[in-house]
Amino acid sequence: MSTVLEQIEQQIAKLSHKAVKKNTGVIRTVADGVAKIDGLSDVMYNEMVQFPGGAIGIALNLEEDEVGCVVLGDVSQLKEGDEVSTTGKLLSVPVGEALLGRAVDALGRPVDGKGPIEAKETYPVEKIAPGIIVRKSVTQPLFTGIMAIDSMIPIGRGQRELIIGDRGTGKTTIAIDTIINQAKINKVGLASQDPKFRPVYSIYVAIGQKNSNIVRTMSALEAAGALEFTVIVAAAAADNPANQYLAPYSGAAMGEWFMENGKDALIVYDDLSKHAVAYRQISLILKRPSGREAYPGDVFYLHSRLLERSARLDGKGSLTALPIIETLAGDVSAYIPTNVISITDGQIFLETDLFNQGIRPAVSVGLSVSRVGSSAQIKATKQVGGKLKGELAQFRELAAFAQFGSDLDAKTKAQLDRGSRIVELFKQPAFNPVPIEQQVATLWALQKGYYDSLEIRHVTPAAVSLREFFATRKDSLLTKIRTKAALDAEIEGELKTAADEWKATFKA
Amino acid sequence: MASAAKESQELARLLFKASFDHGALTSDRVSGVLEYVEKHHPNRATAVLKAYARLVAAEEARGHAIVEHAGEMPANALQSLADTLGRRYGRKVSATARPNPDLIAGVRVRIGDDIFESSVAAQLADLAASV
Repeated sequence: MSTVLEQIEQQIAKLSHKAVKKNTGVIRTVADGVAKIDGLSDVMYNEMVQFPGGAIGIALNLEEDEVGCVVLGDVSQLKEGDEVSTTGKLLSVPVGEALLGRAVDALGRPVDGKGPIEAKETYPVEKIAPGIIVRKSVTQPLFTGIMAIDSMIPIGRGQRELIIGDRGTGKTTIAIDTIINQAKINKVGLASQDPKFRPVYSIYVAIGQKNSNIVRTMSALEAAGALEFTVIVAAAAADNPANQYLAPYSGAAMGEWFMENGKDALIVYDDLSKHAVAYRQISLILKRPSGREAYPGDVFYLHSRLLERSARLDGKGSLTALPIIETLAGDVSAYIPTNVISITDGQIFLETDLFNQGIRPAVSVGLSVSRVGSSAQIKATKQVGGKLKGELAQFRELAAFAQFGSDLDAKTKAQLDRGSRIVELFKQPAFNPVPIEQQVATLWALQKGYYDSLEIRHVTPAAVSLREFFATRKDSLLTKIRTKAALDAEIEGELKTAADEWKATFKA
Repeated sequence: MASAAKESQELARLLFKASFDHGALTSDRVSGVLEYVEKHHPNRATAVLKAYARLVAAEEARGHAIVEHAGEMPANALQSLADTLGRRYGRKVSATARPNPDLIAGVRVRIGDDIFESSVAAQLADLAASV
């Protein structure tokens, strides 16, 4: 009891006896989650304002005689004439490791029913992106666990790689696979107690998604043991547009904490098309001038200032961003897709046709690119997969011509055959990322022609069997590939012996 | 529709500017403005007058402090408070005392959009929110 009294006394002592100044205003109108307020003459742009009943808002439109605020919370209790006061604080969210394994809303409040979050720090939701001096170029890899991506469109820590495609083409799956792979790598790395190992923490921001989808994602992460390294920021479709607009910035603030504290983090924005739509809704209600497709004039800045916050900092950590954009009928030249394509350091384009043909992940090799990731790719992957992208692109071109029939020369036939095998090899089930050392072994076997004698339909099972064989019987060799990150004569010799051994036992 | 509202606002602002004499709002000037509106009857006169009234009320509030207090409020303390506020805002400020026992102890001063809170009730509310 005495400790409780002491706590209260300490709290009382903390209270200042000085007069507290508050700036106030009066609600003039409330409509569609936006309140127009008379007064608030001292309010700052993006400042949190306090509404009666506990709801808070953000001052977004500072006009000569009124202030436009988006209300984050229940607007049904607000009425004309209610008093609103400034808080003197810019919108901030809790940050830190206490958030790992938790699902929070756009304001960082827990929504998973696991009790309060004991975060020691808060970061402002809006922050200017790191400048030129403090940045460092991207040189460290971030493995997605997806062979087609790690070998052909590699991603580095601090990079912004867009995942773009129509609905139902596996965009979220790629992001979830990447998060799961980080968790797997973290577990192995932390168990090895290697002082140089840098774990990657993940933040998944769900914007405007169905609650059922968010639950499914959480369950997938939990089942894969990845939730403990992940923070989920949820602004579901049922949330008001202000929360959907803020969620990515809140997620970025949480990611920045890891980056600023010398850790590496990965953030997935799923998806920025819905984010732009939420922002358009707010802007129209705030009566801001609209432009193309009724988006406001600053819709480019909306995404550029968000994605610029992902960086690799000199002497600190990194924040890698995987924004997702949903296209309509594969139209990458629409307004929001072109904006985000131009901001990011590359894109992974997913095609509906490929997806329907059973080629999953449905990565379009021709349209996908990684502008900075190649310098982050490990030497071993470069050694075994350096030419794959070109070969696959050539295959797609030739395959289109080959459809017209007629006789094909031996060289073309060989190219088509090899292309088909690469396509089969890159097929991968969802939520099943492949560790980089196993990817190297699989691609090495392709390079050395171990799948050439097989029928094309047997290539995928053969690759799975090869990986199982290596994982169960050649673990030391895999560890060697992982730690050396390059193939030398000794490793290649061991790979050959192991692959011959596997080939002798494998039956299609 | 939006531009009409904007025009009314603009006109109200012009009338408001015309209501000042040597930097102070005067009742003569306000009467003059009202006479002008009555005579010329501009478009959306009601909207213009409403916007004008809001601007005048806000200006009035900036020069007048309402001091809510629990317990005694001597006249010299009220005057001293008005002088302090006058110095702070750089203008003449008058003050009116208004007893409010809900404050428990202390004062709450409201001037324009600003509120200076120094009451026990507010401190208890802060304490309740932080525990």
